[in-house]
Amino acid sequence: MTSISERPTDVVSAGLHDLVKPDEGVVSRTVFVDEAIYRTELDRVFTRTWLFIGHESQLREPGDYLTNFMGEDPVIATRGADGGIRVMLNSCAHRGMAVCTTDAGTSKFFRCPYHGWTYSNNGDLIGVPRADTVYNGELDKSRLGLKAVPRVETYKGFVFANWDENAIPLVDYLGADQLWYLDLAFEAPLGGLEVIGPTMKFRIKGNWKLAAENFAGDDYHVLYTHGSAFQIGFLPDYDMLADYIANFDHGHGMGDISKPGRAYQNDVGMAQFLGPEAIEYVTAVHERLQARVSPLQAEMHGLGEGNIFPNLSWIKFGVFHVFGLFQWHPKGPGEMEVWQTSFFDSAAPQSVKDFARTQMSQENAAAGIFGQDDGENFEQITESARGFVSQTRDFNYAMGLGHEGEVHEEGYPGRLGPHFSEQNHRNFYRYWLELMTTQGEQK
Amino acid sequence: MTSSLTDLRRDVEDFLYREAKMLDEQRYDEWLGLFTEDVRYWMPITETREVRQPRDHVPGEWALMEEDSRFLAKRMERLAGGLAHAEQPRSRTRRFISNVLVTPGPDDDLMAECNFIVFQSRRANSEQFFVGSRRDRIVTSGENWKIAERTVLLDHRVLPRAISIFF
Ligand code: FES
Ligand SMILES: [Fe+2]
Repeated sequence: MTSISERPTDVVSAGLHDLVKPDEGVVSRTVFVDEAIYRTELDRVFTRTWLFIGHESQLREPGDYLTNFMGEDPVIATRGADGGIRVMLNSCAHRGMAVCTTDAGTSKFFRCPYHGWTYSNNGDLIGVPRADTVYNGELDKSRLGLKAVPRVETYKGFVFANWDENAIPLVDYLGADQLWYLDLAFEAPLGGLEVIGPTMKFRIKGNWKLAAENFAGDDYHVLYTHGSAFQIGFLPDYDMLADYIANFDHGHGMGDISKPGRAYQNDVGMAQFLGPEAIEYVTAVHERLQARVSPLQAEMHGLGEGNIFPNLSWIKFGVFHVFGLFQWHPKGPGEMEVWQTSFFDSAAPQSVKDFARTQMSQENAAAGIFGQDDGENFEQITESARGFVSQTRDFNYAMGLGHEGEVHEEGYPGRLGPHFSEQNHRNFYRYWLELMTTQGEQK
Repeated sequence: MTSSLTDLRRDVEDFLYREAKMLDEQRYDEWLGLFTEDVRYWMPITETREVRQPRDHVPGEWALMEEDSRFLAKRMERLAGGLAHAEQPRSRTRRFISNVLVTPGPDDDLMAECNFIVFQSRRANSEQFFVGSRRDRIVTSGENWKIAERTVLLDHRVLPRAISIFF
């Protein structure tokens, strides 16, 4: 990737230590609106980190494909005839037309609508109209395939890709500490996790980092931004739900971590309200967890929400909650496109599936009561950050500064913090700054 | 179309226009009264698919909205509570309903299809249009007509913003 990482972004990079000071709990508003910083992010953040592409259940058969974005680059992911999953740039090697214009489908090849160059679904250029005459037979097709993303790896069915061929393996990037928690979501389903419908997509006129840092552990905002959810009884008292947040290497963070036993108690209470099938289900899942993960993980039972650096957030409370993924696709410094994919246990009873699905639509989704109000924050923050004077006032991320490492829960991995702290934001910007001010492979 | 269906269409148009006006004027309690107790309100997610690989929306797939009357009422309670930040202050909206088609449904119900354009203006500069179609099952047997099923199909693949208004 030298051609990408040697772009002249040094000028931008050099000034960033003055703008972003995680250890002092301050970040300049400039990093949320500046075009040059944004271009540098597309290079140094989005071509060097593992980005979510899709789930294996969306690419079941050879020929299946889906489209997504890596940063602002459109990509196609395919399952080839050999069963392998490949990710490639969705842009013709001739003059850049998109060769695939749909969300998903099945095809052995992609034909460019402009001049008709045709690529196999593993990206090889296999057909050029009138190649013998118009190119005098001199066109070297082997050099003109769709640009392949060099690294594609999966973790428990979730496919990620990375433009950096020297990147550390996906599993190391995610890290054992973070996976200790996330594994609860992946090991709990009695069947498998399956995608439960199309990807939901909507725009927010806000900088992508505002959404990412929010899911990385901004539990403090829930009290007021989502005050309406408590007011109408959609959620119980917030202090009954969770106790901690935690962060991990490579900028990842999560929130709404509960003390052992709490999430299970909440689910049992919920099951009583939902009926006999739900009671049976929560018991079956709990037994399954006891058999598959450590006793402490099983006792922890439920998760919360988090952000996998840079822009993949997730949410998963107890067994009655879908596993929801949010991609905050950057679309310029002042706008993001949200792609939401939801997963649930294929073997859950229909009544439980129905509850989980509708609850997610009503909660953290485009028309959900959480989703609406979050978007409003990100938009108005970005709008006000454009002002000259407002850029002289740094954002404040000082909550819990000087008190990190004071919270412990026996056996819980990661850097634990109290429910309300900005330690995870600082962790996010520390890694962001490291990537933005260095070149080459990430550590 | 028989003349009685023509008359019915006028009545249905009248019903839908009044509903649109209620929403534009934020008379939400009255709006809730237009739905049956067991209403099914459904707004699936639009996809972009290959011409030869279409896919129908199926019940049970994740949707933008999938509501019963209880949760619709919760949404109104939320708006009234003063903490629904996405609608504080309220958006200005203007609804345009057209292309109304009426066919007989089961029992004495009517199936009403229409197109809509909804303009939303938020605060100072946030302005967007939502465009789509609706299909309603209207129960006409009671004292007042009520909507028992509503399917809303937005034409957008990527919504211009989160949805804080009603369709
Ligand atoms: S741009 Fe694709 S064939 Fe010319
Ligand atoms: Fe939120």
